Amino acid sequence: MKLQTKINIRFLTVTFLVFTVAGVLFFFALDKVVNQNIHEMLESRKAYIILNLQQNEPITDLLESPDHSIFIKRVEKTGEYKRFSDTLAYDQEEKELIPFRKMTFSAHSGDQHYQVVLLQSLLESEDLQMVIVSFMTGLFGLVLLALFFLNGWLSNKAWNPFFKSLSVLITWKIGENQAVSFDRTGISEFDQLNSTLENMMQKIQADFVNLKEFTENASHEIQTPLAIIKSKLEMVLQDKTLNDQQHQRIHAAFESANRLSKLNEALLLLSKIENRQFVDSSEIDVCKLIQSRLEYLEELFALKQIEVTVRLESQVTFNMNSLLADILINNLLSNALRHNIEKGKITVLSENQKITISNTGREAEMDVSRLFRRFAKQTTTSESNGLGLAIAHEICNNYNLELNYHYLNGMHNMAIKQKS
Amino acid sequence: MIEDEQALCETIVSYLEEEGYRCEQAGTVELGSEKVNLYEYDCMLVDIGLPDGSGLSLIKELKKCHPETGIIIISARNSMDDKISGLDLGADDYLTKPFHLPELNSRIKSLLRRRKFEGKQELIIDKITILPENRQVLVNAEPLQLTRKEFDMLMFFVSNRGRVLSKESIAEHLWGDFADSADSFDFVYSHVKNLRRKLLERTGTDYFQNVYGTGYTFIA
Repeated sequence: MKLQTKINIRFLTVTFLVFTVAGVLFFFALDKVVNQNIHEMLESRKAYIILNLQQNEPITDLLESPDHSIFIKRVEKTGEYKRFSDTLAYDQEEKELIPFRKMTFSAHSGDQHYQVVLLQSLLESEDLQMVIVSFMTGLFGLVLLALFFLNGWLSNKAWNPFFKSLSVLITWKIGENQAVSFDRTGISEFDQLNSTLENMMQKIQADFVNLKEFTENASHEIQTPLAIIKSKLEMVLQDKTLNDQQHQRIHAAFESANRLSKLNEALLLLSKIENRQFVDSSEIDVCKLIQSRLEYLEELFALKQIEVTVRLESQVTFNMNSLLADILINNLLSNALRHNIEKGKITVLSENQKITISNTGREAEMDVSRLFRRFAKQTTTSESNGLGLAIAHEICNNYNLELNYHYLNGMHNMAIKQKS
Repeated sequence: MIEDEQALCETIVSYLEEEGYRCEQAGTVELGSEKVNLYEYDCMLVDIGLPDGSGLSLIKELKKCHPETGIIIISARNSMDDKISGLDLGADDYLTKPFHLPELNSRIKSLLRRRKFEGKQELIIDKITILPENRQVLVNAEPLQLTRKEFDMLMFFVSNRGRVLSKESIAEHLWGDFADSADSFDFVYSHVKNLRRKLLERTGTDYFQNVYGTGYTFIA
């Protein structure tokens, strides 16, 4: 849920509740005031009638006013009483039954006793109530609506710096050397947040760069001693006085030094790719590249009696660095060769700007989540350094390409295509 | 030989001296520039990253005073830029550290062949005659049919006669980046076998010697 929606919902719920309670209370208060008003009116008419009765003796036993609002009846002597009640009566003007407040009381003048009934129409006061209530309801509605928009506008304005910071964070990528800066917002909390973020991001960036530089420098510094070890061992291997066992031991050391230096080269390459040190790029005809690589490998395929099927009719071009394209194709093809079986198969297929390299292999389906990770060797063959696919993956990442693996009918498939 | 790493420099120099070259060393651009201006060399091996500057400036200098000297860059930096700018300046070849000594030796030989004899040199090794420019091998004046890789391999062996060549260095010479595949060792084995057989059939001499577990030696 969006922050604004959440705030709006809470805000409006509370406002609505308060208005409803206030509305109900207001209605009852209004009702009470109106009632009181009517009673006062009736009381004042009562006082007037009693005064009139005492001054002018009525001639008949039953008196009725022309507007049918006063009835005076002579009665036997009774006690003092006064009653209020509501009733409906037919109104001549309105031509319908309308509510009346009825006041019945006793009056006397000398020894004459009367019962007086006063009727007061409630129509006007009900109308008044109606008007007030509907006006209030309308007003509440309007206020609610105004609050809704006001709140939206206010929170938009108040949270604007926050959304700005958020968009900066979303576009920020570690490793890409972009300077991070947040504008001054003038709101102390946001400024605090932004400066904390800024410091944090700078620290992360610095750590990241440090780590990368360390890897690079370490690899670099290792290369020279390795070159010395290798060349010294190579010199010793030339010694004619060595016996077979000594030869073998030195060769084993030489072999390991060799592997170490290959590994080191691969790590260096990987960090260079990650650092995006391969700047220039051009349109690479991948089919042509694969074709030439396959020719180069011909003898190795033949030696393992691998059947190579090539279907590269549909042209595929990627915009990338030519050296990296070379390495990418090299790695994938040598992978397909290295993990293949005797008399196995390799298929290279191009279609719809997509290249698929498939091969038979000793292993069953690979774990995709680990496949492209560094040193995530899933086989025990020692000749692979576990970096080939990581490098291929990183190269693809660099050029917005997608490297996908899937296993189908005993074939391991590696597919490269442009990310959509 | 312009290289600041003393131990490496010594090994390379001693390997090359065994091949019969006379070598002089310099560890800095300053020393190197002095030697380059004073003497005339057949070949200069130069490291790019030197303590007092870049080896590239030495290449420029050498090209001015002795343009006929061959230049091989030896660099720890496997960087395309260095390679391209080095070759643009007139260097003949580029080797990335760490490299195999036989590889360096074979590159120097091929460079000198091209420079000194314009490639028109016949290599005569016992009963075998090699015409490097035409990529042709003659035995008793009759051409011997070799595949491309077999020829490269023979040249590598001939350049490093009497040396123990490890499987790794042979594979790397032939395959470069693909050399780390174990299959390439099988390939080396099968191709040495073929080459050996072809030469044995035509010349009656076995020029190859197995060095147990390590590689092969070409003896002639």
